Amino acid sequence: MIKINNLHKSFGDNQVLKGIDEQINHGEVVSVIGPSGSGKSTFLRCINLLEQPTQGDILIDGQSITAPDACIDKLRQKVGMVFQNFNLFPHKTVKQNITLAPVQLKLMTPKEADVEAEALLEQVGLKDKADAYPSSLSGGQKQRVAIARALAMKPELMLFDEPTSALDPEMVGDVLDVMKSLAHKGMTMVIVTHEMGFARDVSDRVIFMDGGVIVENSEPDALFSAPKEARTQAFLSKVLR
Amino acid sequence: MIDAINASLFTPIGEDGLIGIYLILNGLKVTLIVTFFAMIMGSILGVTTTLMKMSPKWYLRWPANLYVSVIRGTPVVVQLVILYFIVLAAFDVDKITAAIIAFGLNSGAYISEIIRAGIQAVDKGQMEAARSLGLSHGATMKEVILPQAIKNILPSLGNEFIVLLKETAVIGFIGGVDLMRAGEIIRSRTFEDSVPLFTCALIYLLLTYSFTLLLSKFETRLKQSD
Repeated sequence: MIKINNLHKSFGDNQVLKGIDEQINHGEVVSVIGPSGSGKSTFLRCINLLEQPTQGDILIDGQSITAPDACIDKLRQKVGMVFQNFNLFPHKTVKQNITLAPVQLKLMTPKEADVEAEALLEQVGLKDKADAYPSSLSGGQKQRVAIARALAMKPELMLFDEPTSALDPEMVGDVLDVMKSLAHKGMTMVIVTHEMGFARDVSDRVIFMDGGVIVENSEPDALFSAPKEARTQAFLSKVLR
Repeated sequence: MIDAINASLFTPIGEDGLIGIYLILNGLKVTLIVTFFAMIMGSILGVTTTLMKMSPKWYLRWPANLYVSVIRGTPVVVQLVILYFIVLAAFDVDKITAAIIAFGLNSGAYISEIIRAGIQAVDKGQMEAARSLGLSHGATMKEVILPQAIKNILPSLGNEFIVLLKETAVIGFIGGVDLMRAGEIIRSRTFEDSVPLFTCALIYLLLTYSFTLLLSKFETRLKQSD
């Protein structure tokens, strides 16, 4: 489904990604772990072109997204993104947050979008918050709304950029539960996370990144119980205590 | 005190039978007309300039940046005098129109900076979130960025209008008779300083103060949606 060839990204002189090759198949759940500054968020943001790669290519369903004639807005409709800081629209209600894009892009009528929004809110357990404004929600609730908002576009792929890092510990579980059920439904997901237990439970594959490259890439059990690379071992020994 | 008020405001102050209070009221009218139309012209110019400044095309950005730098870098009274005596000298433009153009040009530069700052103050995650949903840049601006920016913009914009109203007090430099100049004429004819000057000051204060009140009411209403 996604094929990434020799992906490089620099910010000025700072080379963040130094050649990433990776393939993510339909229905696969891939977690990306690694120390901060390893380039994992940048890698994720390149997949929907929030960062423009400096070199290399990304193919989604065989179509290059970095080609000059690629239609970025169309591509992004297929790729949902969930941010660390939620980025809900504060001037719109929860329901309006969810219906904005499908209605604006004429994929649904306002009525259809309303019905869809209510179904999605039910799915993330926030049906009673439809008419609330984001400022009245807790972090965990905001993040679940953000997931519902992304799902309203019926994406084929969901990107999660440290979705639980800004949450109070007791809120993390709710968000992870929503993501888990999404994974069980067969959604293709790429998750940048510090939740090692979650990565181990839910992922089909775990990627360990460090210094702008993929250091190790294998099944979760293999990577967590018997990491091959010294750098992976050093990282895991620090985070899994 | 009463005598001084009577002498400078309510009795003829020259052989032409001019009465102070009428001069003041006519001056006030000029001040209000210039402020009002300069405000409209400045707003239109400000929005246009902001759009040009945020454009990816250098030939739109460059003149907009030059305009803002020149206007912000020189005193408004210098701009007014240059505009009236040099730029518009060849045209048959009356003093009030010239003042409207000068203050409109001046205000437009400041307003464009206010709008730009208001837009940039919106968290950049908002743009990313909307774009990641597949919305175009234009739709994102309209639906997500501008509705939030407007709350940052309005208070500073109100402030700019108050500054504009006060700055029109230099219209006398091109011979226009605004509120301030009216006071000066009375002063020079009656040799009475306090009454005309404090009258002018009081009127300016009343105008700006009532405008501030109006604004804060409006802002409270805006905040209710948060």
